[in-house]
Formats: sequence, C-alpha cells, structure tokens
Amino acid sequence: METKALSPDEAYENKMHVIGRVTLPIGLLLTFLPPVILWLRFGILPPGKSLLQGVVGISSVMIPVSIVEILTFTPILGSAAMYMSYLTGNISNMKLPSAAIAMESVGAVPGTKEGDIASTLAISGSVFASELIIALGILLIAPLSARLQTPALKPAFEQVLPALFGAIGAYYIAKSWKLAAAPLAVALLLGLVPGVPTALSIPLCVLSSILAARFLYRKGLVRA
Amino acid sequence: MDDYLGVANDPVFFACGAAIILFILGQAALFSRAAYREGRRLGMERRTLWRSFRAGAISSAVPTLAVIVALVTMVPVLGVPVPWIRLSVIGSAPYELMAAGIGAKAMGVNGLGGSGYTAAVFASSVWVMCVGSVWSVLLVTFATKRLKKRVAGSLDKDPAWRNVLMNAAFLGVFSIFIADPIVRGGLPLATLGSSALIMALVGLAVTKLRAEWLREFALALSMIGAMGAAALLAPLFS
Repeated sequence: METKALSPDEAYENKMHVIGRVTLPIGLLLTFLPPVILWLRFGILPPGKSLLQGVVGISSVMIPVSIVEILTFTPILGSAAMYMSYLTGNISNMKLPSAAIAMESVGAVPGTKEGDIASTLAISGSVFASELIIALGILLIAPLSARLQTPALKPAFEQVLPALFGAIGAYYIAKSWKLAAAPLAVALLLGLVPGVPTALSIPLCVLSSILAARFLYRKGLVRA
Repeated sequence: MDDYLGVANDPVFFACGAAIILFILGQAALFSRAAYREGRRLGMERRTLWRSFRAGAISSAVPTLAVIVALVTMVPVLGVPVPWIRLSVIGSAPYELMAAGIGAKAMGVNGLGGSGYTAAVFASSVWVMCVGSVWSVLLVTFATKRLKKRVAGSLDKDPAWRNVLMNAAFLGVFSIFIADPIVRGGLPLATLGSSALIMALVGLAVTKLRAEWLREFALALSMIGAMGAAALLAPLFS
C-alpha cells in the first residue's frame, strides 16, 4: 500500500491499471475455452509432439513481433486504450484510426489528459460497435456469405485498407504536411523492397517520423 | 474430412463466444465509465465525452464489415464459432490464418481444410491460434504500467514537443498503410485517391458550411464512398 495520499490524476491512472491487469488475464483465459472444451468434452487433442512444434513455431514469430509492437503502441495509446486494444485486436486498422478521428472531432490533443480520456471513450465505442456488428454478422452468416461473395462487391471489400488510409492520409497531410513527409518517404522506400514484414516496417517508420519531427521542432518549423 | 465441422459448430462453442463477447463489453464498460467520470471531474462537457464515444463507434463500423468478410472466408474451414471468437479477440484476420496454418503444418498438413484436415488437425490450429496471442497479452498486462511511467516522466517537461511527437508517432504507423496502395498502383491507388478526395471535400464542408456534426462521420463517409468507387472502377483495372 502507498503511504502518501495519491493525487486525483495518479488515482485515475492507477484505477485504469488495476482494471486492465485484472480483466486482461481473465479474458486471455476465456479465449482458451474452445480448445479446452475440444479436449475435455470431445476428447480431441493433437499429439503432444505436434502441439509443441506448433507452439514453438507461432511463439518464435509472435514474441519478437509483440515486443516491438507494444514498444511502438504504448506511447501512442493511453493505458486503458492499451488494455482494451490488446483484448480485442485490430489495432492499426481500427482502434488507432478511430481514436485519432475521435480526438479530432472533439478537438482534444493526443498525449494530454483530455486526449487520453477522449481516446479511451473512442476505443470503448469502437469495441462496442465492432463486437456488436460482428455478433450481428454471425446471426446473419448464411445470407451474408452469399451476398458478400458476389463479384460486384468483391473489389470493394478487397480495397478496405486503401479506403481507410486515403482519408487518414488526407487528414494528416492537411493537418501537417511537413510532419507527414518523412514517414511517407520512408514507407514508400520500404514498400519498393519486397517482403519487408510490417513488424519491421512499422517501427522503422515510427522511428524516422519521430526523428524528423524532432529536427523540425528544434528548427521551429512545426508547432504543436 | 467434414466430420470435425459438426463438432466445430456445436452449440457449446457458441455459448463460449457469447460469454467472451459479454466479458469484452464488460471491460469496455468499466473503462468508459471511469474515463467518463474523470472527464467530468476535469470539467469536460457531457456532450464532448459522448461524442468521443460515438465517433469511435461510427469510425469502426466500416472496418468491422471487413472483419465480417474475413469471417465469411474462414467459416467453411473452421466452422462458425471459432473464427467468430478469434476475430473478436486479440489478433486480426491475417494473424489467425497464419496461426491456423502453422497449427496444421505441425500436424503434417499443408493448408487449411484440404484432404487430411481432421478433427485433431483442427484442434491443433485452434491451440496455436490461442497460444500465439498469449505473449502480447502478458506483456501488456505486466509492462504497460512501467512503460507508461517512463514515457510520462520524459515527456511532461515539454508539452508542445509532446503534441508534435504524438502526431509524428500516429503518422509513422499510418504511413505504411498509405504508402502500400501508392506502390501497388492500379485499383488500390484509385481507391486511396477517392477516399482522400472525399475526406478533403468533407473537411471543406465542415469548415465552409460550419457542419461540425459531419466531423465524426468523416471517416465512415470517405470509406463507404471509396469502396463504392472501387466497385465501380474495378472493371477498368482488371
């Protein structure tokens, strides 16, 4: 227990950590229900040797990827946003853009306390919307399967990411084209090299973006 | 080959899915209640707080449709409940497919759902999908508090730099996804351009017509418009 009294800011931050540190491991255990039920109720379990091989395979990919990803996202997202994002996934293609647009629509500045609160609420909104829409999709899965695979709609859904990031790009270039220049140049160069995984290219772009921003800020070329 | 699908679609797994979704919504409710109260304590308006929540929800609706499309493609191989649960938690569609593939390979089966994809292979896929996401969740659980303290300590001295840094970091992540369609050209580039154009028009409408309410719809409108454009333009590029 802390002996000195906590400021309201610290109390809030601590509360978020407590909620996160309790809910996230429980959520993780719940995700193991399907394989455990397959094993205990249906008696279906892969042989130990194969299971071990699969676990080693996926872990050798995911341990380094997770470390790099978390070092990249923690400074951007607030604590509560991190705990929610890692329980529900789809971070760079859904959670981050939603948080950015929500902060912009209420005029909150990223990295401030207000920005933290706005993005926490935005990510909750994102979680509610996405989980409920997916559940609705499950209820309608039979008619949807047929509709979504019609040739006319196929190209639209193959282009979801360009459709998302065209708007995001326009927003940031209008907001600060000087900040956007360096990471975009690096991203274009990396894009010309085939086979660079995003686990490597995202941190490289973030790093170059921050270094360029530091330079521009020192020279007085960008302001907050 | 299809015998495992009967098991995979057993009602007990739908019940698991429902329990997990309820738990996720419960966590989001706890966090948003705490953030809402803290916002009120700091004197932020009710309207502003509610608007943040709504903007997050609206902006996520269209990307979620893409998740449903991924779901539809996974169902024939993995049944309904497992893809539903996996796409509702932690990873994303490419991760789940990779993990399911590694699980199958460990059993000596190449690819998902081919001949030889038995119940045991299915179980192997499911175990690997679950175990692969343990690392990131454990790291976030145990490291976020410490990492946050470090970041906060070094940034509080210069708030103006902190703002620039945040925007730069967001841009760093986004630029990869902006550059990709430019490099690929063709339909992806046309879609990117349509989306950017609609976003710019919405931005103009917000400032010129003072249509403040449009802001939170900007992303959803741009995406729907650009996806419509992609469907219309597709014959030109094929």
